[in-house]
Amino acid sequence: MSFYAYKDIIEAGDLVLAFISRGATKPITVTPGEVLNTRYGQFEHDLMIGMKYGSQMAGKKGYGFIHLLHPTPELWTLSLPHRTQIVYTPDSSYIVQRLGVGPGSRIIEAGTGSASFTHSFARSVGDKGKVFTYEFHEVRYNEAKRELEEHGLMKNTVITHRNVCDDGFEIDNHKVDGDVVFLDLPSPWTAIPHLNKVIAEDRQVGICCFSPCIEQVEKTVKALEDDGWTSIEMVEVAGKRWEARKDMVKHVDDVVKRLKDIQDRKSQGIEKLRNVNSTAPSEVSSTESTPEPPSKKQKRDRGFNPFGKGTRIKEGDDQYEWRDVTKVESEIKSHTSYLTFAYKNPNRKV
Amino acid sequence: MNTKNRTVITANQHVLIRLPSEGTKIVELRPSGVVSLGKFGSFLVDGVLGYPFGQSFEIVEGQDVKPILSLQHSSDPKDVSEEPEGDLNKEELTKMFSENNQNIIDIGSKIQKLTNDDIEELKKSGATSSIGQHIIDQMIAGHEGFDKKTLFSQQKYLRRKQQKFLRRFTVEYLGSSQMLQYYIDKDLPRVIDLSEESLGLLMTYGNVRPGGNYLLIDETGGVVLYAMLERMGGEGQVVLVHENEHVNIIALRHAGYSEEYINRMVKTIDYLQFLEPENEKINWEDKSEEELAEMKSSKREQYEKRRERATAINSVIETVQNGNFDALISVSTLHQPTLLPRILDTVGGSRPIVIYNQYKELLLETQHVLTKDKRVLAPSIFETRVRPYQTIPGRMHPLMTMRGGGGYILWGTKVIPQEGITAVGRGISKRKREESPATDATDS
Ligand SMILES: C[S@@+](CC[C@H](N)C(=O)[O-])C[C@H]1O[C@@H](n2cnc3c(N)ncnc32)[C@H](O)[C@@H]1O
Repeated sequence: MSFYAYKDIIEAGDLVLAFISRGATKPITVTPGEVLNTRYGQFEHDLMIGMKYGSQMAGKKGYGFIHLLHPTPELWTLSLPHRTQIVYTPDSSYIVQRLGVGPGSRIIEAGTGSASFTHSFARSVGDKGKVFTYEFHEVRYNEAKRELEEHGLMKNTVITHRNVCDDGFEIDNHKVDGDVVFLDLPSPWTAIPHLNKVIAEDRQVGICCFSPCIEQVEKTVKALEDDGWTSIEMVEVAGKRWEARKDMVKHVDDVVKRLKDIQDRKSQGIEKLRNVNSTAPSEVSSTESTPEPPSKKQKRDRGFNPFGKGTRIKEGDDQYEWRDVTKVESEIKSHTSYLTFAYKNPNRKV
Repeated sequence: MNTKNRTVITANQHVLIRLPSEGTKIVELRPSGVVSLGKFGSFLVDGVLGYPFGQSFEIVEGQDVKPILSLQHSSDPKDVSEEPEGDLNKEELTKMFSENNQNIIDIGSKIQKLTNDDIEELKKSGATSSIGQHIIDQMIAGHEGFDKKTLFSQQKYLRRKQQKFLRRFTVEYLGSSQMLQYYIDKDLPRVIDLSEESLGLLMTYGNVRPGGNYLLIDETGGVVLYAMLERMGGEGQVVLVHENEHVNIIALRHAGYSEEYINRMVKTIDYLQFLEPENEKINWEDKSEEELAEMKSSKREQYEKRRERATAINSVIETVQNGNFDALISVSTLHQPTLLPRILDTVGGSRPIVIYNQYKELLLETQHVLTKDKRVLAPSIFETRVRPYQTIPGRMHPLMTMRGGGGYILWGTKVIPQEGITAVGRGISKRKREESPATDATDS
């Protein structure tokens, strides 16, 4: 298992993301003898070993299932233990694209937080690149460090316990030589002046500062200008997720037809009632004429019922006519943060 | 090998030129050549070589250039502390603006004493760097209301005029974002309305990285392919499926990759070969040494060509038959519901399926098909839109207009369904079923 490349078969010791349902993915380390317990069944690790990544796996009792997924930074982002706010894929993917992050890029990231973006950076820069990430909160630093080690990301990632706003970014034994900077901390403007010592001198450097408040952006823009960064632009990314659904097509003609049917049945009923009343009084009719509360068990004859009123219908049921529609997720992230981009050039021949 | 330079402006490479008007141009930097920027003048290529990408320049005497801090600055880049031209103290500005708002007057062209003819005349009078500035100075002089404007609107006015007349430009590395930007400006349908943020999302959801083995359908003329090659850094392979006899990767002509490099990284296959591999494989037997020795050289050449073609086709067909691709990325106008079920099995387990379309409705149809199919887990449609702001401290606000559109992306994970698995809740009581998202996992 690695975040740098796929493998096909699950082995003991692998990190597997158990997809239980949308919004519920559980990271597990496959360990002989252990069992994953979920609301939908029990899943033995021993049985996972040797299965293909991507397999659907049945619960121990024969019902319920999960899918066994290979970790990627994107799936990890959806399942990781949150220690802080994290950067989600619509933001991170745009930052990576706009700043041209790729194999060989040298990233400076502070703070590490839950290391969500760190995973994505490490994957993208490959073995020719480097990620320098900084975190001043000791517990978070230790957890992120352990996680990065367990995930095999130390090959191209260096994590440092440091307050970058006070003590800057320099690291013993490393020339940082960064060409992409990402600052996700409360006061980027205090970190910016420290960057001059660690950014590349022979090529353009790009920066993105990630701040939720406009006041932070103001201060950041000033600090960037003062330090010679140019092409400063702030943007906001809005991401939305849509579900494919089906909506029943209800023709007005059918409504009219149904109303007529009800009318007919009513008058028929009255006829019937009259007939009953005139021929045989009391006993039998009493049960028929008193309106009965609709019971779930009893299947009533509803006459012409084109939209299945009063019954439970599965979306897309073949008996009805449907139209494909989209529905936006019930809660959208309408604001994550402002992204302030800028560049710094050496302004000389190199 | 790919020898292009990613960091320094180098001869014989295509680059993106960004102009103050926000227009873009792709040009090839021929040594000792001259690049014309239309009304912005022209410059000698040799003057820009050796600077890092991202450097801005101003055209000075003749076709020479000098480096400047940015398109908005004219100060000597070494003197960073100098304020951007016409950029008055921001706090002062803000204060003035609120006090002095009433003095703002409409800048109708009638109050500018300079006519268009005057401007043309000035432009012709010499090719010095001061021309643009001169025109602007004249305009200000002729603009009776100028000093009555607030500092802020004065500044805004200057900036607008700068965009029109200053002979400045930036030389940028022609990355995939720049390539896409160029096509967005020039020929939006060519890139099927794809935005930079959608391209980024495609690459990230597709988990494109060095060493991957990807299946790609790309109808943008190769812009998406270029973005992938950029993220792969020369390691791995892209199998590109195309619907015509020949593949269209016109965007790569500016990419600066050698033919060998492209041949190594990109294997092309048409749909016929892809979907009916057995019929399309070429039966090929090498001729013996003796037979070859007897051949005339022209015949021999032909033979070698045919041999090369047969090997290439058979090898890519074999690659597809082996499958196990690390992602399917599709940016296509082809009807995906008819295509996807036939190609999904070539993608490896737990790998991403990423489908772009300009229209949400078409992805909607695709998602329904995939949901029924069960080989793609939790497919969803994503929309991402970047909203740019006016980035001036004290007056931050979203820009009044932005590009609409940008397309939609369907992302799911290829999985391997198992026969005969029942979800919790099937056939169990109704209330339980409603609570159980496990059924949802199969349905969605
Ligand atoms: C919002 S989180 C970063 C989340 C991260 N980008 C992710 O995607 O998981 C911000 C982190 O920055 C750290 N931090 C704040 N100020 C810092 C400083 N001066 N030096 C180093 N880390 C700092 C905080 O402890 C916190 O963990």
